[in-house]
Amino acid sequence: MNKAILRTFLIALVLVLPAGSFSAGTVKYMNIMSIYSDDKGAAVRNPEGVACDDESRLIIADTANHRLLRYVLKDRTLTSGEEIAAPQLTYPVLVKVNSAGDIFVLDGKQRRIVHLDAGGKFVGYLEPSGLPSPSSYVIKSFDIDADDNIYVSDIFSGRMIVLGPDGAYRAHINFPGDYGFISDLAVDFKGNVLLVDSVRSRVYSAAKGAQGFSPLTEGMKEQMRFPTNITTDNRGRIYLTDRNGSRIIVIGQDGSFLGLISELGWKEGLLNYPAQLCINAQGEMFVADTNNSRVQVFQLIK
Amino acid sequence: MRPDIMRLRQILVITLLAVCAFMTSSLAAADNKFRLKAGAAGEICLKCHEPFKEKLKARYLHTPVRNGECSGCHNPHTSPQGNLLDEVSTRICDSCHKKIVPENSVSAHKLVVAGNCVQCHDPHASGNRGVLVKGGNELCLDCHKDTAEKIKTARFKHKPVNEDCMNCHNPHASATLGFLLKEDVPALCIKCHRTDNPAFGRQHMNYPVAASRCNSCHDSHGSSRPVIIFEDVHAPVTDKKCNQCHEEAGSQNPLATKKKGVELCRGCHKEMVDMAFAKNRVHWPMLDRDGCLNCHNAHAAKQKKLLTGTVLYVCGKCHSDTVDLQRISKNNPKNTGLCEPVKNGDCVSCHSPHSSDYMLLQEKPSMSFDVCNKCHDWKTHSTHPVGEKIIDPRNKNLSVDCISCHRACGTGNKPSMSQFETVTETCIQCHKELERR
Repeated sequence: MNKAILRTFLIALVLVLPAGSFSAGTVKYMNIMSIYSDDKGAAVRNPEGVACDDESRLIIADTANHRLLRYVLKDRTLTSGEEIAAPQLTYPVLVKVNSAGDIFVLDGKQRRIVHLDAGGKFVGYLEPSGLPSPSSYVIKSFDIDADDNIYVSDIFSGRMIVLGPDGAYRAHINFPGDYGFISDLAVDFKGNVLLVDSVRSRVYSAAKGAQGFSPLTEGMKEQMRFPTNITTDNRGRIYLTDRNGSRIIVIGQDGSFLGLISELGWKEGLLNYPAQLCINAQGEMFVADTNNSRVQVFQLIK
Repeated sequence: MRPDIMRLRQILVITLLAVCAFMTSSLAAADNKFRLKAGAAGEICLKCHEPFKEKLKARYLHTPVRNGECSGCHNPHTSPQGNLLDEVSTRICDSCHKKIVPENSVSAHKLVVAGNCVQCHDPHASGNRGVLVKGGNELCLDCHKDTAEKIKTARFKHKPVNEDCMNCHNPHASATLGFLLKEDVPALCIKCHRTDNPAFGRQHMNYPVAASRCNSCHDSHGSSRPVIIFEDVHAPVTDKKCNQCHEEAGSQNPLATKKKGVELCRGCHKEMVDMAFAKNRVHWPMLDRDGCLNCHNAHAAKQKKLLTGTVLYVCGKCHSDTVDLQRISKNNPKNTGLCEPVKNGDCVSCHSPHSSDYMLLQEKPSMSFDVCNKCHDWKTHSTHPVGEKIIDPRNKNLSVDCISCHRACGTGNKPSMSQFETVTETCIQCHKELERR
């Protein structure tokens, strides 16, 4: 009897061990749709930005068409697709929404943040006020936290700046000493700030209230060729766009590599020089599939 | 003394003697692993290898050869290696010459890393010190032909270079410095050049450059320009107008620049900078604190347009992944049809390095129809429909173009810059009916 139990236990152990280690390195996902056009059927061209929220709103920076597109995705049904085109917005490359649904867009040509209200009307440019060394400021990227504070990466002075919702300067942290090029930043649900270094293929983090950044990962050249965008989900997992590698890399809060999503290709579910990505509370991941001139929607499976 | 203690002492002495005798015989056996007769080492080999006697008259002999220890490297009976070597030829030198390349060296000579020691050293004997196969710079310049040409043709020569490459370089590796340098710059330079000499100050417009890197302006191997300055010189340097960019020599911080980043360069290169900034996309490094200096040298450079290196080197400083792809593509024997700009590492043939209105800093809107078209007549490439009006069956927002099948920067080990491993794999991307299941 005892021998039979022992044998069963050993067989179960042999079967379970490899299965467990395999699933640890895998991120499960499913491509649910691709967005190719606006509500009038006009094609999207080289979109680089995509923003989403938990109210089913989706904003696409239709970069080469110099406009934004606004959709609603509810129960996997996409509606609307109306154009938002403000004369103040010349070349949208990154887009975020705050808790009120206001839209903030990085204009790549002007290198300024354009602030639009939830209806798409121009409110103004978000100009930092009270900033130390204001003339040494060039914005490359930004993110917005749950309290609508705005985190900006300033590549000229090599610093991450925290601004209040009104653009008033609150604090800054210098980039780490040995960085290559900081392409993007993200604030996770705990208030930790993450930087992605495209040249060193590395992520740096600063816990809320920290005075400096430290490496969260070592160089990840094996896993990613040239990461350019970073975001987090509501569980704290970190998602990086590997632009030149045409895929998404998923890492844990501790910097451990968790897996890859997609690969280079033209068919639906595959990516071609992707850029910004966004994940909502439902686990829907939107990716600006730039060189495929579309936005793809994936469902992340827990 | 008590008899039992006497006996114990005798036993101890005998044991000690036995141990000593055993160790001595073991060592002797290890030294003479082939149990050669006394005086036979070396001599016995020369009985057959008679012409070798002449070689041994050379001034410098490899130590085992001098000691007649042919079996130090060769097995007299059998070996799986050529020349009856006791070890693989690329590793045999390591057995005595350990740590020739220190761990984590910043730079190491390629031949040394590959274990190809015999390309420089004769393993037996030579007339040159270090049993080198050739003396002086001839040995180095046989391989480093570009440097040889440079040294030969330079109108203004650097004396230590003509004397001996080893004046500045370590032939094997440098633990802490690049380019196999023996010492860092300027420490290496000021061994000969006195920086406290008033003439040094005058030549540098009285700017305190003694601690600066001399090789940011001077070509240590010689130049066609006086004071061996690099071939391409920034106009303010030629005109000795350092204060055009730097604070005055007598100021508190004379080496500081008057402005930071691209704004400094804009003072003279306004038209070019304004034109770049008018485009949709500016190459981001232009906008950081180093600005133009990310790619250009402010004073003088070996490369044209004051680039800090070849285009491939400059781009590869950040885009190493793409340059790796280019290198693998170039070294792939299947890639006989490699695109010329890719083969030559000429990234700027297709990309605008400063700014562009288009994706990936492409020079023109369409990579295929505008950029590839500069060299390839894609309309006659094949009978396959290609063009802006031909919709890609995989993606309705794309046309069938060159990069539907090819990848412009190279595809590593895939042939003909193809996106896919085989022709079949390429075709079945769209022609699903041909796919074998």
